[in-house]
Amino acid sequence: MKVEVKHWHAVAQWRWDTGVSSDDTNKGDDDEGDVCGICRVPYEGCCPACKVPGDDCPLIWGECSHVFHMHCLLKWIGTAASKQQCPMDRRPWGE
Amino acid sequence: MATDALRAQVAAKWQESFARLNQNEPGIVGLLNFSRAWNIARESIRPRGLNEPDPSTRYDKSTFQASFELLNKCRRLPMLLESFLEDMRREFPVIREEVERYTLEYERTSNTSFILDLVFRLLEWYKRWLPMQELGATLHSAFVLSFQTHLFSALTPTFVRGFKELCASTLPSTDPELDGPVPNVEMWQAFETIGLLDRYENIIASVGYEHIEAHVVTTCTGQWSEPMLGQLRKWMTDKVVPWMLLMYARNATTADDARAMLQNVGSRFDFHMAKTLCDLRTKEIFDIIIDFPDSSGALQDLKECLHRVDQRASLVHTLRKSNRKRLLHPGADTRLILTQYVATIKCLRLIDPPGVLLFKVADPIRRYLRYRPDTIRCIVSNLVGDDDSGDSLVDESEPIQALQQTELEDYTDPNWEPEPVDAGPDFRANKPSDVISTLVSIYDSKDLFVKELQVLLAQRLLAITDDNTEKVEKERRNIEILKIRFGEAALQVCEVMLKDMTDSKRIDGHVQSQKASVIHPTIISKIFWPMLEATGIIMPGQFRTFQEEYTKEFSAFKPDKKLRWLPHLGTVHLELHLEDRTVKVDVPPLEAAFIELFSQQDIWTMDALIAQVGSSVDRTAALKALLTWVDLGVLKEQTENTFKLLEVAETVATGAREPRGVTTSAVELPSAPSVQQQQAEQMRVYWKFIEGMLTNLGSLSIDRIQTMLKLAPGYDQTVEQLGIFMEAARHEELVVVRDGMWKLTPK
Repeated sequence: MKVEVKHWHAVAQWRWDTGVSSDDTNKGDDDEGDVCGICRVPYEGCCPACKVPGDDCPLIWGECSHVFHMHCLLKWIGTAASKQQCPMDRRPWGE
Repeated sequence: MATDALRAQVAAKWQESFARLNQNEPGIVGLLNFSRAWNIARESIRPRGLNEPDPSTRYDKSTFQASFELLNKCRRLPMLLESFLEDMRREFPVIREEVERYTLEYERTSNTSFILDLVFRLLEWYKRWLPMQELGATLHSAFVLSFQTHLFSALTPTFVRGFKELCASTLPSTDPELDGPVPNVEMWQAFETIGLLDRYENIIASVGYEHIEAHVVTTCTGQWSEPMLGQLRKWMTDKVVPWMLLMYARNATTADDARAMLQNVGSRFDFHMAKTLCDLRTKEIFDIIIDFPDSSGALQDLKECLHRVDQRASLVHTLRKSNRKRLLHPGADTRLILTQYVATIKCLRLIDPPGVLLFKVADPIRRYLRYRPDTIRCIVSNLVGDDDSGDSLVDESEPIQALQQTELEDYTDPNWEPEPVDAGPDFRANKPSDVISTLVSIYDSKDLFVKELQVLLAQRLLAITDDNTEKVEKERRNIEILKIRFGEAALQVCEVMLKDMTDSKRIDGHVQSQKASVIHPTIISKIFWPMLEATGIIMPGQFRTFQEEYTKEFSAFKPDKKLRWLPHLGTVHLELHLEDRTVKVDVPPLEAAFIELFSQQDIWTMDALIAQVGSSVDRTAALKALLTWVDLGVLKEQTENTFKLLEVAETVATGAREPRGVTTSAVELPSAPSVQQQQAEQMRVYWKFIEGMLTNLGSLSIDRIQTMLKLAPGYDQTVEQLGIFMEAARHEELVVVRDGMWKLTPK
């Protein structure tokens, strides 16, 4: 017997490639994923200012390996208190 | 011995009386005259038999007059009256006998004409015995009184029954085609004369009432489309009023006179009619509501009747009772209850705009609906027009408006009106709000609806298999409408879901243009979709290849994102090329995975199959998937749990069964949690607190736990509820209890 697939309507979900969990893509129980260290919303959600996730509310990857919602981080960097540091480890922020 | 003085006194009295009777005539001529006059007078008014000659034939009228004058002069008239009444008493058994004879006859034959004959007979007696007008009013009224007293004491209950029947027979027929019987004026006059009308007024009225009741019941039962009240009033005017005129306006000379006389009794009859109609409609109210809007006429009637007759309490009572009996039981479909509830809302608003009746009736329904697990789902599926039955709870014509919050009363409103008198203390004067608002307000928050809506939308979106933008557009329209109701913010999630649909299409378009693939995924933003519980099917063979290729392309297109398949969702269109035939089917992924495995090897046991697709598939699901193929005649169950591919169709099998349509995988998503589940969910939050407490403080009594939990924001459980929860936790072996002290299970 030969099985020929004509059309497959599948369902998938997207995730940000945060580098951390790249090797355990198939780990089924890693449900919630990581959250943005600033707004505590999952990366796949959106920052408090946004309504739509994904490309409209992207992530930003720092040199220090920390990842945030871009909007969250820019807002933080914009404040004087930030001294242009990563909020997690106080190292100078750089992409 | 009498003394002289006494003797003298008696003599004087004697003389005086004699002088009065003798009228100063010489000798005893006066006395003789008096005695003659007495005899004539007595003879003239003596109650006599019907066949006896009239006294006036024997004596001249002037003779009578002279006699009576003489008696009057001698002040002997009272004596005459007394003796007359005494005579009457003595003669009366004749009449009594007749009454008995006629009523007996009636009793035997049940023919009311005997009663009628009796009445006329009595009238004859009455006329016969009636003293002449000239004899003055005193005598006349004394006679009437005495005659009636004797007569009424002679009338038996049987007569009363007959009389009632006789009266009823005079009523116009209920059949509108037939004219009523010709009014028998004489009969009514006879009734009047011998005093039956006054005596039996109640009976006559009750005859009228019964007649009205019968008419209302025959003409109005089940006739709900038109208001009947007008028709009934017309009938009253045409048929009943002429009848009433005969007795209640018998002395009327002019029309105005008659109207004035009828006013009182007429309004009583009208009231009775309204009451009867009201009772009837009250009895029918449940079915009237079912028939709404075809029954608006009946509702109109009911409204008017309720104005006239205060039966609101009984209406509420009846409706609540029939709701309890016919609606709020496990046998009734939730959809049905909702439909009836909506109809009830509409109907009772018609009857009673302030909504007091509605409030009282709706309360039990709402409470019941709150405990039905699928109420929300029903309401929501109706909202999005996802109903098989087609008839929507909501009128298309009803303007879409935002959900209304209960407002405080505006006391500066010049048109403000107080709550109706029969409103209960917890009555909330909700302004006539739209049906959806009312339905949503069954629950305390609209969040549940939004959640359910999300689940439903997810189901519907994932079920869209082919590139059907039209369907997505339809959902989008639906959501736009619902946004007006629930507010933009609440439906933000749905917005993202819809966006995922269009994005997926765009991405797929791009990926396909790079490298064509048979797989067309819907890529979702997981957080914004309801929980799609993952069963980790590992797709075998070519499916896995498709997935991997697509993932690679996707990553090339969106380098910062990764794809993660939800392989148990979706559908696959397959073509199986077997030795003798080709089978084309749409199947869920699990079925596809299994058949792919069969292309590698002809015979599999179920356990081996499950192991191949990742062990997370449960046996029921696997069996169902395999049976799908068995039904299609592609597989055959060889021995228990061992399946074999049929390269060549079994003749019997294919001949016997038509390949029936495979149910395309309807994604079953968990519906919004029921109230109990929600409570449990709430409790779970507090479990964290409890856990912390027990970790820090060792063991605690339930009261201590309760006291400390009360410090937590929003905690509103009773100690009993906490007890139940702790007991549940003990079953899950999270805590142990000893001597009423709870502590965490030692790790």
